[in-house]
Amino acid sequence: MSAPFKTAGLLKDLMAQYYAKGEENRKLGIPVAWVTAVFPVEIIYAMDIFPYYPENFGALAAARKVADKLSEYGEQQGYYNDLCGYARCGIGDTYADEHPVGKILPPDLLVCCNTQCGSLPKWFEAAGRYHQAPYFLLDSPLIEGEVSSLGKAYFVEQLWEMVDFLEKTTGNKFDLNRLTEVLKLASEATRLWNDCLDMAALKPAPFGFFDACFHMAPIVTWRGTQVAVDYYKALKEELDERVAKGVTAIPNERFKIYFDHIPVWPRLRWFSDLFADHDALVVASQYTHSWAHKFDLSRPMESLAEVYTEQFVNRGFEYRIKLKMEFMERYNCDGFVLFSNRSCKPNSFGLYDKRQVIAERTGKPGVVFEADMSDQRFFSAGQIQTRLEAFFEQLEQNSRRGKT
Amino acid sequence: MVIDDLLKRFNDVVADPYAEARKRREGGQKVIGWLPTDVPEELIHAAGAFPVGILGTNEPIHLADAHLQSWACSLMRGCLEQGLKGTLDFLNGIIIPHTCDTTRMLVGIWRHALKTPYIDNYLMPRQVDRPSARTYLKGELARLKSNLEECTGQLVTDKALRESIKIYNANRLAMRRLYEFHGTNTGVISSRALYTVIKAAMFMDKAEHTALVEELLQEIGKVEPRNDERIRLTLSGGVWEPPEILEMIEELGGVVVADDLLTGARYLGPDVDTTGDLLDALAYRQLNRIPFGGFDSTIRGRSTFLVELVRGARAQGMVFLHLKFCEPENYDYRDMRKAMTEAGIPSIRLETEYANTSLGQLRTRLQAFMEMMGGNGS
Repeated sequence: MSAPFKTAGLLKDLMAQYYAKGEENRKLGIPVAWVTAVFPVEIIYAMDIFPYYPENFGALAAARKVADKLSEYGEQQGYYNDLCGYARCGIGDTYADEHPVGKILPPDLLVCCNTQCGSLPKWFEAAGRYHQAPYFLLDSPLIEGEVSSLGKAYFVEQLWEMVDFLEKTTGNKFDLNRLTEVLKLASEATRLWNDCLDMAALKPAPFGFFDACFHMAPIVTWRGTQVAVDYYKALKEELDERVAKGVTAIPNERFKIYFDHIPVWPRLRWFSDLFADHDALVVASQYTHSWAHKFDLSRPMESLAEVYTEQFVNRGFEYRIKLKMEFMERYNCDGFVLFSNRSCKPNSFGLYDKRQVIAERTGKPGVVFEADMSDQRFFSAGQIQTRLEAFFEQLEQNSRRGKT
Repeated sequence: MVIDDLLKRFNDVVADPYAEARKRREGGQKVIGWLPTDVPEELIHAAGAFPVGILGTNEPIHLADAHLQSWACSLMRGCLEQGLKGTLDFLNGIIIPHTCDTTRMLVGIWRHALKTPYIDNYLMPRQVDRPSARTYLKGELARLKSNLEECTGQLVTDKALRESIKIYNANRLAMRRLYEFHGTNTGVISSRALYTVIKAAMFMDKAEHTALVEELLQEIGKVEPRNDERIRLTLSGGVWEPPEILEMIEELGGVVVADDLLTGARYLGPDVDTTGDLLDALAYRQLNRIPFGGFDSTIRGRSTFLVELVRGARAQGMVFLHLKFCEPENYDYRDMRKAMTEAGIPSIRLETEYANTSLGQLRTRLQAFMEMMGGNGS
């Protein structure tokens, strides 16, 4: 990974403040709503509700290498280790006697969007029963081919049903003008985030995917607030500074790699070092681009529906192949690495075939490896290293061929 | 004996599930397969095609491993395996309902790896309580209908759809009566026989199946009711696979009297009203099916439903039959078990897989459970 960022310190402070704010807010009468990562949180902010991201909790526990431990508490309750690692962490923490990354914040209400997967709704349902808090599902049917007006109308209708649910549950009022202000801030933050991500296309780049994984917390959590805008302004400035000074993400960048999808959190450094040792920088992933979108302020609800349902997480096989190939082209990638993540069926099922298709269409080498995003019990370093070494060897071969 | 002959007929169908479908295809009729268990077969039928259930395989899975991770459930891996092996080459089309993440992603793999001419999704709403679900589902059914028309070249007229629905309602009625009969006269046909009859409906001509079930009902109605002391059990989960589990339950002194299985009660579901807007009626049926892991009701949840199911059937225990890697079931499990415990209903969870399940281990666990419940356990 890159040399430490100045903004990293800022992020740590901001996250600590955010986690502390949940309980403080509740005392002030501000309700705590559990939300999912790819969810129109702009409505939540516009209604002065405090959004809490249990997925972040899972990622944090995973990055601190305690996911396995927390998960075991869930497994004892009958949530077995074939389930999503984040869900097991979140559920496990509820039943745990120890809280190595702090306690997961209990919800007053839960709102879930199922574009990402079917695990989140089931986890939220279970948490809703446990905490006896009302639960609302924002349902988005898969867009397998063309975008359909049927699915969009369904989603817009549900946004209004959700507003009604939120008003009834919290007593807070919804106001379209306020939503427009929030959307403006969200658009600004997502634009800045996108600008930061694009810096990875420079060769050599000041910033790569593993850095982006670290810096993405504000775009997930605070898009729609000034905090996120300020944060990404600061990050962009720092990146520009790095470019001016010639500071690069890795010492000798020769290869740019597309990575799909999420990092193996407890082994983030292991992976980034392994890539750096082979002069390879991971520069893009559909994952970090999940929040690089733009709203049409003239029609807020429709725009929310489009942004959140037409994302790759809600798209079919062909769309996902095209998206990966677009990223590979935009970031000038020499090869691609696909992570078959035991915790995430929607992002993993189909990867075997996609690897073959993308390799055929681009002529670039690609590899699939097996692991779990949070649970190290499913991590086999030797096996993965062998696979990746073979991949790096292909990169070298291609590079030699290119020179002759 | 007539009863045995009838049961043998259903058994033969299940042993060679695609015989009728192949015959139809050879005779020039279009054949459309569906994955379990919510696809509205009435629409396929009314479009002039023969609907057939694709329900996995207990044969070893090899070919699917190149396309689908081994941590997908063996039901879906088995369906894909059959496709890749050529077992399903008779299909003109296949409809995959999105009940979970695996089915949601399977459709793309199927399109890529197989040459089935018509491949479609059935994108049901995953919330069933709000008005938006019904409006959307009507639209989705209309989409499906028009795709089916294109596939078969036959328009689905109101008249044809009404006729198809009547055939399906009659079939459901016959199966419901068989369920009821078995619930009160458990000693006449075995649990496995009951579920074999239900499963056979997924592969047969519906009118023929109904006639056979009615004949069976007549014959078993003549049998002297038997006093059955066995322990009455309810099953909850996806599928009763491998099928030996049902025999094992009976050998150990139990009998199955109710379930919420995909290849059981969930397949039956409510009838479809034939008097008004037919697509709306099909939507109503879908939204009012019994709860399951794929989508629950927030108003009357699955745990409550299951406790009522056990009590209504006067069952003494619950056996959760969960396919390994089935996430929806696993997420529900803790709370369903808790609801059982609180209601004083003993329960056990058996994790199963097509083909790979170790029957010896299952037997040991079931035996301990049955002994605990006061059965003979032998």
